[in-house]
Amino acid sequence: MKNKSLMLMALLLIASMVMTACGTSAVETVVVEIGGETVVVTATPEIPYEPVVLYRNLGAEPPTADPALATDTTSVEVDGQMFMGLTTIDQVSSEVLPFLATDWSISADGLTWTFNMRSDIPWVKYNTATGEVDLVYDADGNQRFVNAYDVEYAVKRTINPDTASDYSYVLYIVKNAQAVNEGEEGVTVDDIGVKALDDVTVEFTLESPAGFFGAIASMWIASPVPQWTIEAAGDKWTEPGTIVTNGPYVMTEWVHGSELNMMKNPHWPEADTVQIDEIRNVMIVEASTAFAMYENGELDTTALPSPEVDRITADPVLSAEYYQAPVACSYYYGFVNNKEPFDDVRMRQAFSMSVDKQSVIDNVLKGGQVPAGFFAPPGIFGRPDDDLGIGLDYDIAAANALLDEYLAEKGITREDLDITLMHNTSEGHANIAAAIQQMWLDNLGVQVNVENQEWGVYLDTVGKDTPIEEVPNIFRMGWCADYADENNWVYEVFNSDAGANRLRRGCVDDVCAEVELKEFDIITEQAKAEQDPAVRKELYTEAERLLSEVEAAYIPIYFYTSMTMTKPYLTRYYPSVATPAWYLWTIDTDARGY
Amino acid sequence: MGRYIIRRVIGFIPVLFIVALFTFVLVRAIPGGPFDNVGDKALPPQVVANIEAKYHLDWPTHMQFLSYLLGDDIVGGLFGGVYAETAGDSLGLIRGDLGPSLRYRNQSINEIVAVSLPISIQLGILSLIIGITIGLPMGIIAALKQNTWMDYSATFIAVLGVSIPSMVIGPMLIWLVAVMAGWLPAALWGAKPPFILGFLPSNLDWNFWSHAIMPSFALGTGMSAGISRLTRASLLQVVREDYIRTARAKGLRERVVIVTHALKNSLIPVITILGPMFAAVVTGTFIIEQIFGIPGMGKHFVTSIGNRDYPLIMGVTLIYTVLLVVANLFVDVAYAWLDPRIRYD
Repeated sequence: MKNKSLMLMALLLIASMVMTACGTSAVETVVVEIGGETVVVTATPEIPYEPVVLYRNLGAEPPTADPALATDTTSVEVDGQMFMGLTTIDQVSSEVLPFLATDWSISADGLTWTFNMRSDIPWVKYNTATGEVDLVYDADGNQRFVNAYDVEYAVKRTINPDTASDYSYVLYIVKNAQAVNEGEEGVTVDDIGVKALDDVTVEFTLESPAGFFGAIASMWIASPVPQWTIEAAGDKWTEPGTIVTNGPYVMTEWVHGSELNMMKNPHWPEADTVQIDEIRNVMIVEASTAFAMYENGELDTTALPSPEVDRITADPVLSAEYYQAPVACSYYYGFVNNKEPFDDVRMRQAFSMSVDKQSVIDNVLKGGQVPAGFFAPPGIFGRPDDDLGIGLDYDIAAANALLDEYLAEKGITREDLDITLMHNTSEGHANIAAAIQQMWLDNLGVQVNVENQEWGVYLDTVGKDTPIEEVPNIFRMGWCADYADENNWVYEVFNSDAGANRLRRGCVDDVCAEVELKEFDIITEQAKAEQDPAVRKELYTEAERLLSEVEAAYIPIYFYTSMTMTKPYLTRYYPSVATPAWYLWTIDTDARGY
Repeated sequence: MGRYIIRRVIGFIPVLFIVALFTFVLVRAIPGGPFDNVGDKALPPQVVANIEAKYHLDWPTHMQFLSYLLGDDIVGGLFGGVYAETAGDSLGLIRGDLGPSLRYRNQSINEIVAVSLPISIQLGILSLIIGITIGLPMGIIAALKQNTWMDYSATFIAVLGVSIPSMVIGPMLIWLVAVMAGWLPAALWGAKPPFILGFLPSNLDWNFWSHAIMPSFALGTGMSAGISRLTRASLLQVVREDYIRTARAKGLRERVVIVTHALKNSLIPVITILGPMFAAVVTGTFIIEQIFGIPGMGKHFVTSIGNRDYPLIMGVTLIYTVLLVVANLFVDVAYAWLDPRIRYD
């Protein structure tokens, strides 16, 4: 009896599928018949406008759509389509361009930045009932346009400690921002150096001159947000139907963990330059699954998983859809500079010079990455010119000479060295570590232990206040641009005062409670405040040289690339620094067929 | 029986409390906090302090636990001082509030569960049906036709099903059925909120089924293998019991002997594993959801730990606990039905 009911269930299941399948085909036939009848009626039916839809993978659920709270690329990318910054970063050249601001001026002392803004950008809201994008009006019935007060509010909100913004520290360059964010006595949010002079002029006062402030002004954390909506809806203001935005796209649907859809904002002044009407974002974490969807025609563009690279490059059709683009990220191995044996510069240089970076790229990464001699990748302002050849070269003989000198001085042998390389748990990092471990064994005759830890535990371990006996000798780390300026690289990461100082440079004591500034630290501090771009670049070039060659405090390994598949009918950009602007992409619907 | 069930349900409360307490303390013992870093960037201590203050992570652990359990208003009222001043709006576990997510900054755990658990339930039930539909008959046939080609093939298939992990079957199915043949969509799930009764799909159409077939099959075959092996072993044991011999000696038809006498008894071990299996699959399976891009709850069991999203870890653990104890209660009740010798009152 049990078998019978099971059989019945299976039959029902099949039947329901067949019926639905028949259903769709029946509808199709009806459509064809209507087409036939029109000839008789003579009136030609109007062909409805088919919206141009882009199908893409967001890769993950965005942790937030609130610009003040966004820190990860997914959230930033979503916000980038909905909110305009004062400035924007060019998709190709990575230059700072006007966006909400039409132009700006800097005072002679470099401390005051005044932005003149456009007045024609309306605030809009998607209407979930009608499916249309509505304009927004205030209580008196006046239409709301983005103005300088919105910018002032947004900047103050990001800095306000109650907002609990992770990236508030990026705005510490603004006067009193740090004091307010740290809850110092005697300063309030009103003391922060941002002020709307009138509807279309906003003035920033800085703590110190900062040539890179134009790039900071492009960031999501400084983008104007709708005060009245945030105050009314609280944490839930970012849901479709509530969220008020001003960019080229509006959010129409957000099924958390599943999909986030957008449509073109018809009220955006440049809406006629935006070709794609709708964007459907899925959230597939697994790159190979997203790639299968791409191959199945369910996605228009996606990342290429590295195991597939060989197959794709060998395929004449698919290789044409494959594009490698530089990404402003750097991969490096840090030395713990106050722990034996890497408290000696000769050891750091020897280990740095015996890593064949090109071989790691060709044999392990296979994504056309660029070997790094220093920290900042292409596209970052102030970065040394490549033809200067900054960075230690791959030189086994010189490396061994340095190593022998050190060993002789210490009276020890290669076998006495006890060196641990640590990385966070990941197959990719493990493969790179295994390759480099082998290089050190082959080139220097030194056996290095490789260990790994879960990401959160790892970050704790490599922190500068971990007891010295618990930190590894060498650790893996990476860095990606927040904004396209060297200040975000050598200063914010490696300056022993400003950065996390995981390298433990210049530590007076074991846990770096006190640090001694070196020339590199002084130069990067100086470059931060320097106003002449040419001088800044010179200073940064020197700083990069000091850190990678003279101090050899870390091993720069490679600059990232993105590996992307794009259908031939989609035209898009592959920005290295800028947030991808979907509103600049176009789809050739004739080539796609729908 | 009714009294037994009530007694068991009351017994859930201390179990839940202990699970909650242990999880709460253990997740906070893992090195690294939720806001120490953004990617590779270490955040300035003051920025971390600002965010931690917002989520009460600066309170002593026992106060955090009390507020998690009772809600901010009750804790604020009881202890006053800083606990009243900085109180949030959490209602606490006792009123069904699982708190805010630390990772998804604009969402609460209740909201996250409300959109992800139903999808895991749908997938879990479908694959359980497939698992039982294939596994049970296969096990019965294997036992009845012991040491014949049917038994060997069933065993072979079962061993294959157990040993090929779903992370192999999944991508293989995607490659063959979606990419090569183009019959089914490669990934995603065909139903989205709002759900009927909070967990059933509102559209049982081709869109739903086309997305459900591959993952349910990939998940269900693995389960069917276990079920079939267990059914076979248990049935083989039962058919050698004296009462089966008696039944046959009475002259009952073989069919009746097997279906009414042997099978019912042999199902006890199968039902025993079905309880925990049910709780495990309806709360989501990480790998299948990951491979098929299904927005279920399974991923939160894994990623919430990496993110140190303490309330989310608590939430999914407690939901799993509740389902597990409830499923085990059903199993115990089913014993009484399957075996008349078992009585609870």
